[in-house]
Amino acid sequence: MTDGGQTTGTERSGALIDGDDAELDRGPFQQWVADSISSPERVYRAMFYVAAIFFLFTTLFPFYWLLMVALTPEGQLQDILFTPNGFNPGAFVEVFQVIPFHRYMFNSFVIALGSTIVVLVVGSLAGYAFGRLRFRGRTPLMLLVLIISFFPPAAFFIPLNDLFNTQFFFLEPITGDGTLYNTPFAMVTPLSAIFMPLAIFILTTFYSQIPDGLEDAARVEGTTRLGALFRVIIPLSAPGVATAGVLTFIAVYNEFFFSFLMTDGQPQNWAPILEGILAYQGQYEVLYHLMAAASIIGVIPVAILVIVAQEKIVSGLTAGALKE
Amino acid sequence: MAADTDTLIGGETETEHDRTGNAVVNWMENLSEEAYAYLLLLPAFALLTLIAFYPLISTFIMSLRADQTRGLDPLGGFVGVENYVDILTGNARLARQFLDVSLSGSFPFVELGVPFFQQALFVTLAFAIISVFFETIIGFGQAYVLDQDFRGRRWVRVAIILPWAVPIVIQGMIFFLIFQPEVGFGTNIMQQLGIFSAAPLANSRDAFIIILVADIWKSSAFMALLILAGLQSVDRSLYDVARVAGASPWQRFKMITLPLVLPALLVAMLFRTMDAMRVFGLIESTAGCTTVPSLTCLVVEAMFGGTRIFATAAAVAFATALVIGLIIGVYVLLFRDTEGGPY
Repeated sequence: MTDGGQTTGTERSGALIDGDDAELDRGPFQQWVADSISSPERVYRAMFYVAAIFFLFTTLFPFYWLLMVALTPEGQLQDILFTPNGFNPGAFVEVFQVIPFHRYMFNSFVIALGSTIVVLVVGSLAGYAFGRLRFRGRTPLMLLVLIISFFPPAAFFIPLNDLFNTQFFFLEPITGDGTLYNTPFAMVTPLSAIFMPLAIFILTTFYSQIPDGLEDAARVEGTTRLGALFRVIIPLSAPGVATAGVLTFIAVYNEFFFSFLMTDGQPQNWAPILEGILAYQGQYEVLYHLMAAASIIGVIPVAILVIVAQEKIVSGLTAGALKE
Repeated sequence: MAADTDTLIGGETETEHDRTGNAVVNWMENLSEEAYAYLLLLPAFALLTLIAFYPLISTFIMSLRADQTRGLDPLGGFVGVENYVDILTGNARLARQFLDVSLSGSFPFVELGVPFFQQALFVTLAFAIISVFFETIIGFGQAYVLDQDFRGRRWVRVAIILPWAVPIVIQGMIFFLIFQPEVGFGTNIMQQLGIFSAAPLANSRDAFIIILVADIWKSSAFMALLILAGLQSVDRSLYDVARVAGASPWQRFKMITLPLVLPALLVAMLFRTMDAMRVFGLIESTAGCTTVPSLTCLVVEAMFGGTRIFATAAAVAFATALVIGLIIGVYVLLFRDTEGGPY
């Protein structure tokens, strides 16, 4: 493909001449080939549609198939590919009857929301400092934050597991046995710390884009420093804050390692959705159609977030990963 | 607003302070910019210290102590780097033998008798390299599609991003079900093609391929989004110039697109490599850690696998961190000279 001297033909397509200039006697295939040579853009367009349909199929088919499995009544689960064997929408109700799946989802929401709030508050302060203030050690501290997001959770886990299983007398009124294990804190704290670096990068990028004049004006008007941050900077970068929030929420909702190891898996002990989905695998008879139904239900919240906030997700990932 | 003139002339904000009379606010107003910056960074670094820096150091110190399986404290006396020597030479004891080759086919180069740490290191590195390779290619394809203008582009983008947003456990569940012989279509097809055995999720080699496919399915979108950002920052007039100069599409790709997208591509690859090196949840929810042991699997297994060998677990965990640090180092060294490259 790399014969460099090929200059004929391609130049003509640049001039946007339509392909049917030569009326020769040709078969349909030859005609198509001739058209393709004279206007390669059409071939690219066709290739593009083929690629687009291929990617749509490969990403969406597993969800579609999952729905078919969920709709198939138990015991008839063989050979499902494009249509279900029977029709049993009751699986989506049964999911909540066999185990308290709604409780797992509620727990996941609490943990994801809690982490998002911590990350946004703490990350906003740090993002403001990194994005708008001048101080010694800015770059090294930024690198230190970055490094955190690279370490494997396993390297943090053992001491944290110890810490969260230690009894503190002042926690006894809150948690009963005085440990943080089996409470939302055992997940909110590590997950906030682990997903904060991304949020800090996103917020740093957004905050640094706000013109200095606006903040100066607010300060001259007599606002305090924190007042300027919360009344001027954060409202102006609301899109950035929303972006960081959406990404943190999705990341925490999706997380496996700490969510799996920081509770005993019981719904009343704040086990998140992943334990709910794995529960169909475990102590009950194997209920494949319920696993599929539960998986679909579990995807719905993030699917809605992706549909509503796709621009934010795209801008957030690129800002967080590429701008620093 | 009578205070306006005062503040404009003096540059001070006395009136507000008098009105609020808040000592904390006053104190904060009088800090230098540098001190104020440190104050704002304090909560973030306090959290990071508690959750990241302290545990990391603590893990390292633990890894230098002996395993103690009796008594309350799982850690014995100081033994230096003995745990590291043990995991490298295969003397460390794990509750279960990983990579059970008697059960099924294994990887051709990892046989029974190879120390479990090397097995896991091999599995993890192979997983990272192969998955990132395919994710880069597919991500490029997806980014090209998303870069075009067409009707319904918004929805195609939603469809392509969606797997990225799926919780790991559901990603695992989907592929668990697809290759579950009683339910899924995957086993049958692959068996007829002569690639998989009858129980692919219990076979190390087959399960490894399944988690690769699952990871590529989910993570190509992340790659695609970062590459797309790179593509969209390319100046379109460069393509027109190249076209007039007679460059073929391949030449345009090689001379313009690739060099300009490279920085974004490298960052994306680095991120994905780090993520792949930490793989655990996907394995745990599809095939299980005994079938495809990753480095993180070893840590969890050492802690919860029956015998409490915390020091060994800590050594494996810290060694994993070292391997990841090494990979970052190699990336940075290799691509240091790339224009606008990572860091």
